[in-house]
Amino acid sequence: MSESLIKNHNERLKVLIRKRRFWNIFLSIGILLGLIFSSKIIDINASRLLSGLPRLGDYVAQILPSLETNSLFLDSKTEGSISYWYFNLPKYLHLLFETFNMALVATIIGSLIALFLSFFAAKNTAPNSLIYFITRRTLEFFRGVPEIIFAILFVWALGIGPIAGIIAMMLHTTGSLGKLFSEVHENSDVRPREALKASGGNWFSEMKFGLLPQVLPNLISYILLRFEINIRASTILGFVGAGGIGQELYLVINFNYYEEVSAIIFLIILTVISIDILSGYLRKNIIEAE
Amino acid sequence: MKSLRIKNLKKKFKNTIAVNGINIEIDEGKIIGIIGRSGAGKSTLLRMINRLVDPTEGSIEFDDIKVSSIKGRALRKWRSECAMIFQQFNLVERLDVLTNVLIGSLGRNYNLLNLFGIFSKEEKINALKNLDRFDLSGIALQKAGTLSGGQQQRVAIARALMQKPRILLADEPISSLDPKNAKRVMDDMLKINREDGITIICNLHSLEVAKKYCDRLIGLSDGKVVFDGSPEALTTEISKELYDLDNE
Amino acid sequence: MTDKDIMNLHPQVFYPLWKRSPLFILTLISILTYLIFSINYFNFSLNDLLNGFSKMKPILISMVTWNDFFTWNFNSILIGILQTLSMAFLGTIAASIVSIPLGLLASRQVVKISLPRFIIRRFLDFIRGVDILIWALIFVRAFGLGPLSGVLAIFVADTGTLSKLYSEAADNSDNKPIEGLVSSGATKISTLRFGLIPQVMPIFISQSLYFFESNSRSAVILGIVGAGGIGLQLSERMKAQYWDQAFFIILLILIMVAVIDRVSRALREKLINE
Repeated sequence: MSESLIKNHNERLKVLIRKRRFWNIFLSIGILLGLIFSSKIIDINASRLLSGLPRLGDYVAQILPSLETNSLFLDSKTEGSISYWYFNLPKYLHLLFETFNMALVATIIGSLIALFLSFFAAKNTAPNSLIYFITRRTLEFFRGVPEIIFAILFVWALGIGPIAGIIAMMLHTTGSLGKLFSEVHENSDVRPREALKASGGNWFSEMKFGLLPQVLPNLISYILLRFEINIRASTILGFVGAGGIGQELYLVINFNYYEEVSAIIFLIILTVISIDILSGYLRKNIIEAE
Repeated sequence: MKSLRIKNLKKKFKNTIAVNGINIEIDEGKIIGIIGRSGAGKSTLLRMINRLVDPTEGSIEFDDIKVSSIKGRALRKWRSECAMIFQQFNLVERLDVLTNVLIGSLGRNYNLLNLFGIFSKEEKINALKNLDRFDLSGIALQKAGTLSGGQQQRVAIARALMQKPRILLADEPISSLDPKNAKRVMDDMLKINREDGITIICNLHSLEVAKKYCDRLIGLSDGKVVFDGSPEALTTEISKELYDLDNE
Repeated sequence: MTDKDIMNLHPQVFYPLWKRSPLFILTLISILTYLIFSINYFNFSLNDLLNGFSKMKPILISMVTWNDFFTWNFNSILIGILQTLSMAFLGTIAASIVSIPLGLLASRQVVKISLPRFIIRRFLDFIRGVDILIWALIFVRAFGLGPLSGVLAIFVADTGTLSKLYSEAADNSDNKPIEGLVSSGATKISTLRFGLIPQVMPIFISQSLYFFESNSRSAVILGIVGAGGIGLQLSERMKAQYWDQAFFIILLILIMVAVIDRVSRALREKLINE
């Protein structure tokens, strides 16, 4: 009796192994085909890569600053000093400040609008299915279209400058946070809301007392994350004219002000990393405080 | 005396009929226990009284209020006069006890400031008085989630009292509590019935408790009333039918 | 007990709002002050904004009037989409493969000496700190306009992120010597050379699929700075003010991203169930 069971088990195991082997081969062939196809489409091949590498090396060498150890801390007129490299530092700081504020304003206003709309985009809080559908699709649209495209549009309509960037980021933030918030609402505990409903409360009371207290820590965490992302975004929206340090970076790359390129890139990295750390720290504290 | 009249009440969910034709009249001022095993329709019946669930057929009337058909503001007004406590207390765990109790008054008189979490001095004093009735005013500023089950349920009762209700619906209020706390909660409900004259309609799955505290027992089985009378009149045979095999 | 008695027993309850929840009031006030400051700082004028939006009206209208639909250059659009997908594909695969050794090198388990590990980690942080768009600009300088630069940008940026993911996963597994692959967020995997890979494969593929999803979005954006693909097609039409074609491409992009999302999610679920 047990012999046939073992035989049965072995048979099934063989089938499983065969199936898995089939999938592995199928997958590998698929990926191989994909690689060949993609390389053809992009016209990528070893020679192009190799011929480009020295140019890349040259470029990197050009944008790196020519610092000399014995003149590192001398004044900005001396080549080889840090202050020579960063002679435009005041301008950069000014632009970084603008970049930072762009991200902050966009995050604040975007979050508020997202919060408002999120109630209509969550199945369990939307007053009816038509509103749910329209709000959800609208949020998905603003989330799906890359910010930079909105930025191009708004630069065209409102002119070059940070306002175009702020509005572009604001729309994207609204879409992204709106969707995230509504998912948080949908996963919330229904019981406090039930109690509010049963005591004669209206929709607003249900939301304010039955839903908001539960979801607030999550919402704040998402907002902080979004701020991190927006800082990154605001550094590059300038590429299309939407203000901030990106605009300057685009300029120095195009005009081949080589050492300024590395100067600005390092500043951007510093800013992004600091905000990441700060935001991570805030988020950890908020989660712990709850 | 006002009464709650339930006529031919039916509720059908997708494939099941939860409540299948119930006719009862409940007079004010008594403690009514609804008994029966799980799935017998007790919870559905209770939730149709405050319209958390809408009936498929039949009607509920209280006095001249057509409970089963009112909408909007009238419905909210009815719900504010008809308080409910739940098996899992349904408090807002992250808010403090006092705010939880204050929430109870939102149905009755509601102004814009309340939406910002601002309540008047009178409402706060009222809330503290209600908490004090159950010896809970000491923990007024503690977060509701940190309380024990028994404490939470009694806070829920204090919240219900803020509504100055005529009827208190209690949906398995002691099912999640240990015997000692269960007794405390039932004693508190008895107290508000005797002192304030609030009608209490209570779902219970413990026959012993039901017999002890209720003035009248209504037994449900498969959505129908199979017993309606005083606790003394409940014979062991009917209990067996209500609960299938065992008598708790 | 009189009302006064109650108030005296619980003084905190009757404090004014600013005393009861100071943090909330502070946050509210700071946000409001900040917003007022920023209106000033950005020279925000409602007038200009409204003027700008009225300028947008004709654009929006032309976006949805497709008169000469059949004369559009669908060939370039199709190639654009294929290029974008290829960019994402190649970039993801290259990054997934290269991140494995890099991730292990950055992990405490593999590289016991702190200094080289520290250097590698800072190197990865540096790569991650530079936005992918900036990499694209640099590669365009070196390799010219076109999708090749895009692939490289995706490759570099992803390597930074994936390597960190893999190194964290390696750090979090138990203290047995690691010889093979580890994947992040998944089970701790003890490493026997031949027992490991079939176990890790589904998770590895799942992770790569997720990155492919996100990379296809990035690939679109990269095209806008010249790295080829549909992004380039889009930005060219916007520069030429062919708003109708631009809108068409935007819709195509949304559809493409949505399809990839669905397919990727379905595949990943299937992988989990295997």
